[in-house]
Amino acid sequence: MSASTLYQQVVLDHYRHPRHRGAVDGFTHCAEGANPLCGDRLRVEATCDGHRIVKVGFAGEACAIATASGSMLGDLVANRSSSEVGAWADRFSRMIESGVADDELGELNAMRELQRYPGRRKCALLPWATLRAALAGVDRTTTESESR
Amino acid sequence: MNAIQNPVEPFDVDSVRADFPLLMREVHDKALVYFDNANTSQKPASVIEAVDHFYRQTNANVARAVHQLGEEATAAYESARDRLARLLNASSRDEIVLTSGTTQAINLVAYSYAMPRLKAGDEILITTMEHHANIVPWQLVCERTGATLKVAPINERGELIVERFVDMLTPSVKLAGVTHVSNVLGTINPIAQLARETRRRGIPLLVDGSQATPHLPVDLRALGCDFYTVTGHKLFGPTGTGALWARKEILRDMPPLFGGGEMIREVSFEGTTFADPPHRFEAGTPNIAGFVGLAAAIDYVQGLGHARLRAYEQELLVHATQALKTIPGLRIFGEAPDKVPVISFLIDGAHAHDLATLLDHEGVAVRSGHHCAHPLMKFFGVPATVRASLAFYNTHDEIERFVAAIDKVRKLLG
Repeated sequence: MSASTLYQQVVLDHYRHPRHRGAVDGFTHCAEGANPLCGDRLRVEATCDGHRIVKVGFAGEACAIATASGSMLGDLVANRSSSEVGAWADRFSRMIESGVADDELGELNAMRELQRYPGRRKCALLPWATLRAALAGVDRTTTESESR
Repeated sequence: MNAIQNPVEPFDVDSVRADFPLLMREVHDKALVYFDNANTSQKPASVIEAVDHFYRQTNANVARAVHQLGEEATAAYESARDRLARLLNASSRDEIVLTSGTTQAINLVAYSYAMPRLKAGDEILITTMEHHANIVPWQLVCERTGATLKVAPINERGELIVERFVDMLTPSVKLAGVTHVSNVLGTINPIAQLARETRRRGIPLLVDGSQATPHLPVDLRALGCDFYTVTGHKLFGPTGTGALWARKEILRDMPPLFGGGEMIREVSFEGTTFADPPHRFEAGTPNIAGFVGLAAAIDYVQGLGHARLRAYEQELLVHATQALKTIPGLRIFGEAPDKVPVISFLIDGAHAHDLATLLDHEGVAVRSGHHCAHPLMKFFGVPATVRASLAFYNTHDEIERFVAAIDKVRKLLG
């Protein structure tokens, strides 16, 4: 097993240079996602034009897995309808649990090694849950109550 | 000390390691470096065999069967009480209440001793470096009684500020709770000194000994505290074992917390008379095999000799601390001069969980997170740390591998 199958280059690139980072001017939706056991804390701001997501921005302190997941998520959901986000989140969740690649998920497939790390899946899921909360009008969320 | 020990005899770590079967395994195709001992320790073969032997040869319930197996099981189980009394230098075996661990022991004191005595306006004093097990039970009894919890501060090196603790021992303080050794910082608190101050004021002192007994000889008569707790699984014994020690006169005044079998003298529907301590606090069938294992664990540790273990562990601590300090951007939390080999740290730009996952890839098991000490994390202004906690079976070579792995991981994340 390579030392960094989970922390492969694409994940590290998104961690070091995360996209969709920072505040979103005139955002229409926002939420806080926190995993107090881990210490991860994210804020997401999003602008929607009707049901279409125009822009997403994450801020806060998080580990490489959460940061990279949020960065890749932003790429995937731009210009999608907000109702599609839930379906994408479920596919992503299934992929990291099964370890089976899902071509539509693109770079996020790098996270499928999480199949072997049940304790770290909550990190990858945090930006997804936070965006879903924002779109649903919920202020805060966590992924720590998910059983591992 | 009452254990067999010979400080002149060099410590042979290789032969000690051979006693711990799990240490031989590999993780991710690499030899395991187990540095998560403050979380739970590994078990020597003598403990595993004692539990196995109990179930194969002796299994019966305790203190109620007159048949041969019942007598043997009771003797084996009760031998843990004798070992604990000897380990702690308690005056009497009857001062040892067997519990599932420190959490249950502290809760027993909180509900059976403190709660009936507390009223609005009273205070309980703890410290910033307590484990949640020595915070939350007090918060719960404070909520029910109107008492308040106050917290004695620590300094940047992770030491209790003793003068502040003493200043806070006001007449409204009805109980003080202090950890003997910090599970995050490794700091050894000056318990004998604190106990002199609490005794002078007539305030009972509870000491959380969960992290102390794996590293230090504990002499209750020298410490002078009023309650002391032990966690078996950190002391190389099975999970679900532990103890509360308190002086006989204190235990005698404490009502039972749980009712059931084993803790009664006579039961009728009009009323029940309770057994004397310690059995009064031991309702239900206990973790019998676990305590048989704990007795073997205490024999094992005392056979090696705490003084010798302590000297070797200090060498490991100095080595690990010096080696970690050579890593750029690494910050150690807890630099008290008097500490056990528990080292919490962070590296600039790297998250604790990423470090722990990547170290695991290198075969190194450490803990990352808040270590059940949220208030302490807040004091240092960090959400989480990585903690390397060593035991006497760890080696200088393992420290070298650990530090090399950190350096590799740091470069990957940097």
